[in-house]
Amino acid sequence: MSKKTKAVSSLVFALIAAALIIGIILTGSPGEKEESIKEVMRDAVLHETGKISLFGIIQVNPGLISAFTVSAVLIIIAIILRIFVIPKFTLKPGKIQYLLERGVGLFTGIAKENSPDHNIFAGGYIFAAAVYIFFGTIFELFGIQAQTVRGISISLPAPLADINGAIAMGFLSYGIILFGGLFTNGIKGMLKALKDFSLPISMSFRLFGALLSGALVTELVYYYALTSYVLPVLVGVLFTLLHALIQSYVLITLVSIFYGESTEPSKKKEKRKKS
Amino acid sequence: MPLNIDIQQVLLHMLNFVILFAALYFLLYKPVKKFIDGREEYCKDIEKRTKTTLSDAEELKCEYSGKLESAQEEIKKMKSDAADEAEKEADEIKDKARQEAGNIIEKARAEAEKEKSNILNGVNPEICKLAQDAAEKIVFESTSDAYDSFLDITDGDE
Repeated sequence: MSKKTKAVSSLVFALIAAALIIGIILTGSPGEKEESIKEVMRDAVLHETGKISLFGIIQVNPGLISAFTVSAVLIIIAIILRIFVIPKFTLKPGKIQYLLERGVGLFTGIAKENSPDHNIFAGGYIFAAAVYIFFGTIFELFGIQAQTVRGISISLPAPLADINGAIAMGFLSYGIILFGGLFTNGIKGMLKALKDFSLPISMSFRLFGALLSGALVTELVYYYALTSYVLPVLVGVLFTLLHALIQSYVLITLVSIFYGESTEPSKKKEKRKKS
Repeated sequence: MPLNIDIQQVLLHMLNFVILFAALYFLLYKPVKKFIDGREEYCKDIEKRTKTTLSDAEELKCEYSGKLESAQEEIKKMKSDAADEAEKEADEIKDKARQEAGNIIEKARAEAEKEKSNILNGVNPEICKLAQDAAEKIVFESTSDAYDSFLDITDGDE
């Protein structure tokens, strides 16, 4: 391709892009017409107006629909892998086998490191939690549309950007730590976990805050037509991926550390064993 | 509730995650972990067997090298014994040969001595006869001086 042809092609491409941008600005954004930025942001946090009907039974936040969708997809993938991939595992792993083994090995390793005494259940829990948080956060990138009860089409957010989802995750994780301690060390183990009573709230709000901030920035960027080009690649995709990784890592580390603390055998038992 | 927190939805989220956790745990985590543990066990078993085989081989090597050394020593000893025996036997043979040679020489000497004496005994009559013949010849053929000188000779011999 000669230099002249390259220059002409670039010019044509720039003209088409400029024409499209002008057209978009002149025609206006539908978001600006229906809801103000204030309403959009408020709705992203509180979901007061943007509720979705769950099978016509109750009205729920879009985050719950996202949670169900993500779980359904993950369960289907797990079933496919269980039926078609896992039985064909060999001593020399293939690509999918290697990926699965690395994933399971990673979470088993984290669980063993932080909770050396009892880690089988903790390993399974942090594996599931990390998969859910990671894929749940990435889910918002697909922009799957849903219709609210008011008839407005919205893009489904990350399940944990919903305060209810984050609270559920935080309290469930705390419950695992609490009952892990109870089953392994009795009341003493449970009391160890109970002294960190602020843990479920901190875990819930950490998740909610981190994912909500990402959701708000994305909403803000997509609200205005001019910022809807190029910028979302950085803000939307990279921030979402970072959130997905960081939040998964933070939650599983916290859960495994506190689980290890509550399931740690008491020193008296060790002394008795030694004697 | 503040922040639009809905207990029913919290519980629905919990139920959703519990189902997901159960599915992921039983469908993915447990079978994959079981496979990893199995392979680890298999590798450990192989390592253990290899170590045992290696130590057995080392033991065998030590045992055989010891046996080899003792066998070599035995061979050396046998060689030296054989050499000593051969030397002894050779010496015996030599002595015997020497003795035999001595006997033969002795016998030969005795025989020679006997022969010599026989010869000497046989020589005197012959000489007498020869002298008689010579005397007769001289008596009949030569002068009386010759006869005298011959008589002198024969007197001297006796």
